[in-house]
Amino acid sequence: MTQQNELVEMDAKIQTMKKAALELESMADDFPALSRNLARVLSSLKMLELNITDILDL
Amino acid sequence: MNTEQRFWNPVLETMPLEKIRELQLKKFRKIFDWAYNHSKFHRSLYDKAGIKPGDIRSMDDIRHVPKVEKSMMRDIQRKDPFPYGDALCVPLEEVVEFRQTSGTTGQPVYQPDTWQDWDWWAESWAFILWAQGYRPSDRVFIPFGYNIFVAFWAGHYAAEKLGCEVVPGGVLDTKARILKIQELQATAMMATPTYVLGMADTARDKLDIDPSSLTIDKITCAGEPGASIPTTKKRMEEAWGAKVYDHAGATEIGAWSFECTEQSGGLHVNEALFLVEIEDTETGEIIEEPGKRGKMIITALDRQAMPCVRFDSKDIIEWSPEPCPCGRTFRILKGGVVGRSDDITKVKGVLLSPSAIEEVVRGIEGLSDEFEVIVDKVGDVDRITLKIELQPDAVSQQESVQRQLVDQLRLKTNLGYKLEFHDYGTLPRYDVKAKRFRDLRKNH
Repeated sequence: MTQQNELVEMDAKIQTMKKAALELESMADDFPALSRNLARVLSSLKMLELNITDILDL
Repeated sequence: MNTEQRFWNPVLETMPLEKIRELQLKKFRKIFDWAYNHSKFHRSLYDKAGIKPGDIRSMDDIRHVPKVEKSMMRDIQRKDPFPYGDALCVPLEEVVEFRQTSGTTGQPVYQPDTWQDWDWWAESWAFILWAQGYRPSDRVFIPFGYNIFVAFWAGHYAAEKLGCEVVPGGVLDTKARILKIQELQATAMMATPTYVLGMADTARDKLDIDPSSLTIDKITCAGEPGASIPTTKKRMEEAWGAKVYDHAGATEIGAWSFECTEQSGGLHVNEALFLVEIEDTETGEIIEEPGKRGKMIITALDRQAMPCVRFDSKDIIEWSPEPCPCGRTFRILKGGVVGRSDDITKVKGVLLSPSAIEEVVRGIEGLSDEFEVIVDKVGDVDRITLKIELQPDAVSQQESVQRQLVDQLRLKTNLGYKLEFHDYGTLPRYDVKAKRFRDLRKNH
């Protein structure tokens, strides 16, 4: 069974990835290949949040 | 990755009920707030009811939120932002997927999804497929037309997400699909119950292939209730030598429920992604206790482009008193979706559900899988005609089959029928959803 501290650690890594993706996105205005692939990355990160982050504060 | 792990998400799927409710409340408040602030349609609906986002503090408060009916969605559509109307919560350029409902109950409803929504669709299906034993070693054949209906699209993407090898059966005809399953030794398949049975007939009658000799070991059904009707499930499982699992979902809702490998006689509600309430159709009260039927009011807790908040699905369901032995805490709906409030019709003063007739027909050996029910009037009196076919090797048993039919129909539906036996293969066959029930009284 996954423990609360493991979930916290997982979430921290998800948030690090999200921060990096958002920073990249802010640099992607003139770079469609970056911009559109990041849109997908951010959607995938949202799925990680549904599975991990949303449970944390219960 | 440990493929022996039973759960797609071992935390969410085994969470204590009170934690699930807490999660649902938190998510409901979020999606309500989203809909209120991004959709003119929802804001107007909630303003009229005098409910604002801050008003939702408990599960009881949710019950005061107005329901949305399909007819309301029809009314706002085909207007700006075209074609979705003002329930659209994102700029049109963020919509990446168009789907529409089948139009079984009226004009189709158009459904937009962003890429995040589409990822969410696949995620919901990932819960389903993992629970039904799909693993990366599976080769999944999808005999589906890949069109404007959502059907098995998200199942396709979810199977990829799991790591399965997906074979899209797209434009192939039924014979070609069967031969491809045989050639590639596919291990799993997704289709409507009608098509699963139809494929088995085609394999036997046109290709001289016993479908149970093929390598399919699990089949996921959707689109019709057949896989939760024990006699229909049994026919499919025997024909294919495979486990058949049900799943219920809808275009405007999402993939909200699934049967797991325990096959405990019902569907798990994915309570991490959906909030299901059961409403008493007479009193309007919410039913919490098991064993009492009502209609489903459902919220997709994470869908954004066109939110589904307290949608009146018309599906008739009931909570099971028993937890599933699989260990999931997601509650079970006994018998799956047992009918639709707009399907159940009064004949001779008795409530009749078409799935009760299906259960009888599919339970009698000697009858083919096809049947047709027509309700009309003779003078002022209702009449139900049931058209059935005998299997070619059962023609001599007509008398005994007829006797069983009359008895079972009387027992299960409390009604008498005019029985019409037709030659094998002469009743209509369907590729996707079947239309076997016609009420001609409504047309007059």
